[in-house]
Amino acid sequence: MSTIRTNADDLTLTGAAPVEESVNGEGTRRSWPEWQKILFRIAFVFFLAMSIPNSAGWYTDLVTFDWTRLHYRDVYDIARFGSGLDLFGKSIFGSQLEGYATWIITALAAIAVGLIWTVIVKAIKREPREYNLLYYWLRVVVRYRAGIGIIGFGYTKLMPTQMPYPSYGLLNTNFGDFTLQKIYWLSVGIVPWYQVFAGVVELTAGILLFFRGTTTLGAILLLGALGDIVYVNFAYDGGVHVYSSYFVLLAAFLLIKDIPKFWNLLILERFTVPNSYYPAFSEKWQQYVRYGLKAFVFGLFVFYLFWLQYVNFKYDPYKQPSTAGIKVLRGNYNVTEFKINNREISYSPTDTVRWQWATFENWTTLTFKVNKPTPLDLSNGGGAPMRDLGRTFELTGTGGGQRVFHYLADTVEHTLYLQDKYVKGGPRDGVGQLQQREARQGQAGAGGEGGQPQRRGEGTGGRDGNGGNWISKAALARIGDENKMIDPLGQSARRDREFAAKPRRGKRNRMILKYSTTDGSRVILRGVNEKKDSIYVVLDRVERPYVLAKSTLNAGKYN
Amino acid sequence: MPQNPIHQHPAAAALQGAPLSATADRTTTPELERPGAWSPIEKVLFRIAFIYFVIQSIPLDWKYFRRVFQINWLNLTYGDIFDLARYQPRFFGGQDTFLNWLVVLVIAIIGAVIWGNRDKDRRDYNQLYYWLRVIVRYRLAAGLIAYGFIKFYPLQAPEPSLSNLNTAYGDLSAWKLFALSLGVVPNYESFLGLVELAGGLLLLHRKTTTIATLIIIPFTGNVFFSNLAYEGGEYVYSFYLIVLALFLFAFDANRLFRLFALEKPTIPNLFKPDFSDSRLKFGRVALKAVFVLFFVVVYGSKTYAGYHSNPYQYPTKAGLPDAAGIYNVEQFVINGDTLAYSPLDSVRWKDVVFEKWATLSIRAARPQVIDSTNVEQIHFDDAKRNFEFAGSGGRNYYGYELDENAKTLKLTNKVNASDQFALHYSRPDSVTIRLSGVSNGRDSLQVVLKKINKKYLFQEVKKVGRRGEFKL
Repeated sequence: MSTIRTNADDLTLTGAAPVEESVNGEGTRRSWPEWQKILFRIAFVFFLAMSIPNSAGWYTDLVTFDWTRLHYRDVYDIARFGSGLDLFGKSIFGSQLEGYATWIITALAAIAVGLIWTVIVKAIKREPREYNLLYYWLRVVVRYRAGIGIIGFGYTKLMPTQMPYPSYGLLNTNFGDFTLQKIYWLSVGIVPWYQVFAGVVELTAGILLFFRGTTTLGAILLLGALGDIVYVNFAYDGGVHVYSSYFVLLAAFLLIKDIPKFWNLLILERFTVPNSYYPAFSEKWQQYVRYGLKAFVFGLFVFYLFWLQYVNFKYDPYKQPSTAGIKVLRGNYNVTEFKINNREISYSPTDTVRWQWATFENWTTLTFKVNKPTPLDLSNGGGAPMRDLGRTFELTGTGGGQRVFHYLADTVEHTLYLQDKYVKGGPRDGVGQLQQREARQGQAGAGGEGGQPQRRGEGTGGRDGNGGNWISKAALARIGDENKMIDPLGQSARRDREFAAKPRRGKRNRMILKYSTTDGSRVILRGVNEKKDSIYVVLDRVERPYVLAKSTLNAGKYN
Repeated sequence: MPQNPIHQHPAAAALQGAPLSATADRTTTPELERPGAWSPIEKVLFRIAFIYFVIQSIPLDWKYFRRVFQINWLNLTYGDIFDLARYQPRFFGGQDTFLNWLVVLVIAIIGAVIWGNRDKDRRDYNQLYYWLRVIVRYRLAAGLIAYGFIKFYPLQAPEPSLSNLNTAYGDLSAWKLFALSLGVVPNYESFLGLVELAGGLLLLHRKTTTIATLIIIPFTGNVFFSNLAYEGGEYVYSFYLIVLALFLFAFDANRLFRLFALEKPTIPNLFKPDFSDSRLKFGRVALKAVFVLFFVVVYGSKTYAGYHSNPYQYPTKAGLPDAAGIYNVEQFVINGDTLAYSPLDSVRWKDVVFEKWATLSIRAARPQVIDSTNVEQIHFDDAKRNFEFAGSGGRNYYGYELDENAKTLKLTNKVNASDQFALHYSRPDSVTIRLSGVSNGRDSLQVVLKKINKKYLFQEVKKVGRRGEFKL
């Protein structure tokens, strides 16, 4: 049988590269081979360019944010920025290469700069023997960039808001009536605790990257988790493939240093010396700066962002409307009677005018089904619109004849002012996250494909576009200030700003319907629909059981 | 930054006036302090682990051999190999439970006490530890490859059936939605299978075992949490695989921690199995070859063939020719009464789906029993294939006997076999099917079905992309 060879012959002194290290760790180490130095110069330029924000907007945001009344999205936006060189445009050979063109351009520029750098150091004969110190700092930059970025994502899952649990309207939609993107987002939304788990993984990876000793583990975790997400984005057409591959790239870069060690220890089974280089922070001020910066990053992105995200989850979940809907109305309704211009239409699944099934959501949304093709919003329904009207997750990527209307409720006169959440020529970002901000800042970067401009803050006020004053001043007064309808804790400067902004002129379908009900079991709606026809609708509540288990972790406050 | 491989004796590193840290560590490096000898606690733990993992990994359960003898070895199917790879000792019938593990642990502890009494002077268990790892490696590899291939060739989660596509999202269980959501993206499923296969194959080589566990632990960890979250039935089994992987990872865990977290010079594994005996050498190669032949070559080619001609989730028997699709129930007459359309009527059908195979599903408002299967089973008997209706409400599923000459359909409910229809069909044109006959031997039925030209959003979007105006 086998034997143990403790004095293994591969542990010999021969052929060993002498390890020279001075006591304080500032090694007079072996010099790097030429190719390694050239490669490093290129990598240095490339990863630096890929790690720092490339848009002016990011920097102005830092200054202009009201830091006393932050919204989670403010800090999230600081963590999530585009990078890479886009001075030369965002396409190469006329193609955006699925959004990766910025990477290629940055790489080409880095090669050019790296080579020039090489020529210069040779010309002036000042070539260093190695770049240990620069390499160390480059890794610091990449570690923090990746760590901060992934934490921004992690928190929206840790407190499940990124993928909301489906609303009634979505639960009633057939599986075949969704886009692939929607199918994936929903499949995570139905299991909030799994989303929490995914958030824990991302958060852990991020925090591990903040420490030198745990960087390897953090990078492996990041590579595994985000590698999967990249594939998910390609498979489900999720649109976030570039930004997720960005983390894979950074994680892979962080692991390069470790691969020879893995190989040496596990495959060659040889004695392995870590051979790490760390600058000595011997001066007092250096220590202060180091721990000060670390504490700042932790304070802002780990603790403060946690709180902001918690508040968002609790009172203003960014993908679903946050204003509570009229309590007595909520639920599933069969459309028992439907009259249009006083002509009754009896129920038929093939009729193209009649409403077939309606829901009042927990928030200010009415949905109903009509068996007639309608333009669809195929975006991800993301971004961070502050107005409920702009929060379209319940609508995007969903067909099946579903109509989704936001309402402002005048509960004194029992009148609903409804606006279609679908807007012609509205957001077609196809991505949903970064584009909104980039559109605002007028530029995009490595973070994603260039999206078309996205409108923000849709008008809900009385004085916009088509239809003029469709809500009377008196009614507006009775409805109240939508901005203040959520819990005070959830309010923020960002929200104020968007509500104060002049509403965009949007061509939306509108209805004004009076509702009457005693306890919600029967609701009668009458008024004028989006085509100026008068309608009369009798809704009867149906207790519709679902096979899918209810969520045990609900975002938002609707009571 | 690439490094030159450094192979020097650890003691020499200290002699060279090398880092202080390395010198300080020398005393804490177990291998250097007391070369090779195991501490008593290590030995106790090992004895327990040995018995525990041997019982968990090597098929000793008589039920397993009953299964082995049931197999028609001349006509082996991938389902048989899948079953063989899914071994876990069971002491309790019914659902898989962690109690089984407890029993094994108790046996292991008792065994370890007896063993310890008879083997007090043992210096180490390096050899046994090596062989135990061999057993666990191959056990784990079989488990991963078994699931890897049915994902790599997307068999496990096939594309949703027409009935599934026409079921409300809320009428599907979380586990069902998980399967359907994977089924719509076969290439992603293949990718997951590839990762699983890579993990399994890397286990077949001693030196890549730890790297394999770095793939397996996160992957299977995710499977485990998915099972918990989506109410899947394989959380015990996936956790079983995780424990095996963790056990294998533990071998190098200390070394990796030392090298990457503490960043100290690290001594590799020094134990090398000695295969100088030619019989041992031959035996090793032969066993490895048999394993690879059976679980990789044979199983791989059988799943490949299965993907092309014999997938296992949906029934195979052909349905009514050229009928596949969803139909509106234009007319519904029961015992002479014509029932008008109604979304709430508990008797009238709302719509009917004909699958390509001999399944017909009816959307109706009446309550129904829902099949709650949530573990992976491979059946080659249509009657046992329940994927299409497991975890699915909103529709009633019927298998049918088709007689094309007599133009009859004999429907039997797949969940509740007492629910039957004897129907005569006629097809006046390509979009109309008329059914007439008797339901459950009582009520006479006359139904007119009109095919709906249904377009599915995710398929339509694939054709045009997500940008620009889109109407459906």
